[in-house]
Amino acid sequence: MASVARNATQPGAVGAARWPRRIGRGAAHTVVILLCLVTLFPMLWMLSTSFKIPTEVFTRDIQILPRTPTLLNFPEAFQYFPVANWFWNSLLIAVVTTLGKLAISIPAAFAFARLRFRGNNLCFAAVLGTMIVPAVVTYVPNYILVSKANWINTNWGVIVPSLASCAFYIFLIRQYIRTLPQEILDAAKIDGASTWKTLWHIVLPNIRPALAVVTILSFLHSWNQYTWPLLVLDNMKSKTLAVGMQVFASNSESAQLWGPMMATAVLATVPPLLLYVFAQKQIISTFVTSGMKG
Amino acid sequence: MAVAIEEGTAGAPDAGHGTRALAEPVDRRRVFAWNRYRFWEKATPFLFVAPVIAIVGVFTYWPLIYSIWLSFFDWNFVSPVKEFVGFANFTRLVDDPRFHRALWGTLVYILALVPAQVLLPLGLALLLWPIRRSRAQAVYRVTLFSPTVISFSVAALLWLWIFNPLQGILNKVIFEFGFAKVSWLSNPNTAIWCVIVVSIWKTIGFNLLLYLAALEAVPNDYIEAASLDGASGWQMFRLIRFPLITPTFFFVLVTTIISVNDEVFGAINVMTDGGPFDRSSNIVYYLYEQGFRIFQIGSASAVSLLIFAGTAILTWVQFRFVERHVHYG
Repeated sequence: MASVARNATQPGAVGAARWPRRIGRGAAHTVVILLCLVTLFPMLWMLSTSFKIPTEVFTRDIQILPRTPTLLNFPEAFQYFPVANWFWNSLLIAVVTTLGKLAISIPAAFAFARLRFRGNNLCFAAVLGTMIVPAVVTYVPNYILVSKANWINTNWGVIVPSLASCAFYIFLIRQYIRTLPQEILDAAKIDGASTWKTLWHIVLPNIRPALAVVTILSFLHSWNQYTWPLLVLDNMKSKTLAVGMQVFASNSESAQLWGPMMATAVLATVPPLLLYVFAQKQIISTFVTSGMKG
Repeated sequence: MAVAIEEGTAGAPDAGHGTRALAEPVDRRRVFAWNRYRFWEKATPFLFVAPVIAIVGVFTYWPLIYSIWLSFFDWNFVSPVKEFVGFANFTRLVDDPRFHRALWGTLVYILALVPAQVLLPLGLALLLWPIRRSRAQAVYRVTLFSPTVISFSVAALLWLWIFNPLQGILNKVIFEFGFAKVSWLSNPNTAIWCVIVVSIWKTIGFNLLLYLAALEAVPNDYIEAASLDGASGWQMFRLIRFPLITPTFFFVLVTTIISVNDEVFGAINVMTDGGPFDRSSNIVYYLYEQGFRIFQIGSASAVSLLIFAGTAILTWVQFRFVERHVHYG
């Protein structure tokens, strides 16, 4: 396919015609490499700063790499603020929110994709409709709800209301289920499987790629979410890493903790970045197959 | 249960089991099991959608309705009484200079970020397209997408360090070139642009990915036919590729317009706190200050409804436009 495409886009791709094309490609590579460097710089700069000793952080001249690399910024960050608690809260909230979203999304997606019942379309519309309700609109009433439930400063206060933003995941899973052949579902039914068993034994094993993507996207989203946890988590120990960034930032001028600050930022960055690097192929392929093809 | 369904579907006469069942007197227990099975089969779809409907109802639609109610009252979260004030929460906004500045900021963010987040990734995708088979391309994708997977607050913190007036690398570099240092974040003219830079840096990769996937889905036959007819690169884009990726283009456009107010909140909160003099504030930040700093619940609810109305209108306009002008491949 690749060779066909090449010949097709370049009908005269013999001899002389190749040269402008190569130059064009070289130029494209150059521009993209420059952009990549600009993209990476803030993160590399964070990494470099997190290993610098204070005198190197506050030096006058430009010093890209730490001359005497140190790990001391990490324990120091843990001393100033409860960073360990923040890390743990981030992890717990991300994992539980993701599991919760999967648990409510999978059966609903199956019902919307393959089951016939009264109000099917209405329910699906209600779920998709949440995508046009901006999250900001729900903050004040949800804050009242959460404070009535005594969930302020708890992980539950962040997790439970976040479950409502699962419309996109339901949509993704539904689209994936619709690509499964109806025959295997009919066969299960003829063999006497109930709807529940069909979901558990037939559908679930066949939609693993979609579930992997939903898991990753949901984990990233929960790990990174900022505004809602900022409102709910007021107590220093109950914060997440993303919210903790604001604590560092509001103390940045007075405390000058740039080293420990960047060390904490590294802690907040590494899990999502690792996850992405390992799963990027799956993420891309799901975008292509899930109906957002073009 | 498996027994029950055999009994129920025992239409086939060669199923010895079924014929025997007909001959025997009706087994009450089996009928009961069959009825129970049928009941649960009827109920299952509802049970499957019930949790999500409940969650969405309580945490998305109920807040919407409750916001409308709250917007007619003067309340501060803790007071036992809510005082009915009619439309005062809305009319008060007209006279609030802070609201005006927030609206102006919203406009600047939209005018700067929507084109940047919709068109830049498209250009980038077209740039990456000819070299999509090269080995370096995977590295490019991973790199350009990487800011998307980190938190907005972390991104803001990284740039806070870069923009730092005394020790920040940006000022050090421009100082080396002989320019005066700039207080990027405390200067009323530059603060909002710092937030905009962070937003562009953070979001460009996601839309790039969507565009690349869309370009991938354009059938090769079309491209082949067009090039046989001698179409130039620009014609190829304007007449073939762009019409075929318009659904993605509009998806990106709509989601960007909707999310732009929301997504800069983290950066504003970490980097500028809306300042100086509300010059980098926007409507979401105004809502946050009203609702969660000075506890004007009524006013915050009124603002949230304005945001909802704006979003709903934009979405509707976009969908109408898409219906009329978008070609689905």
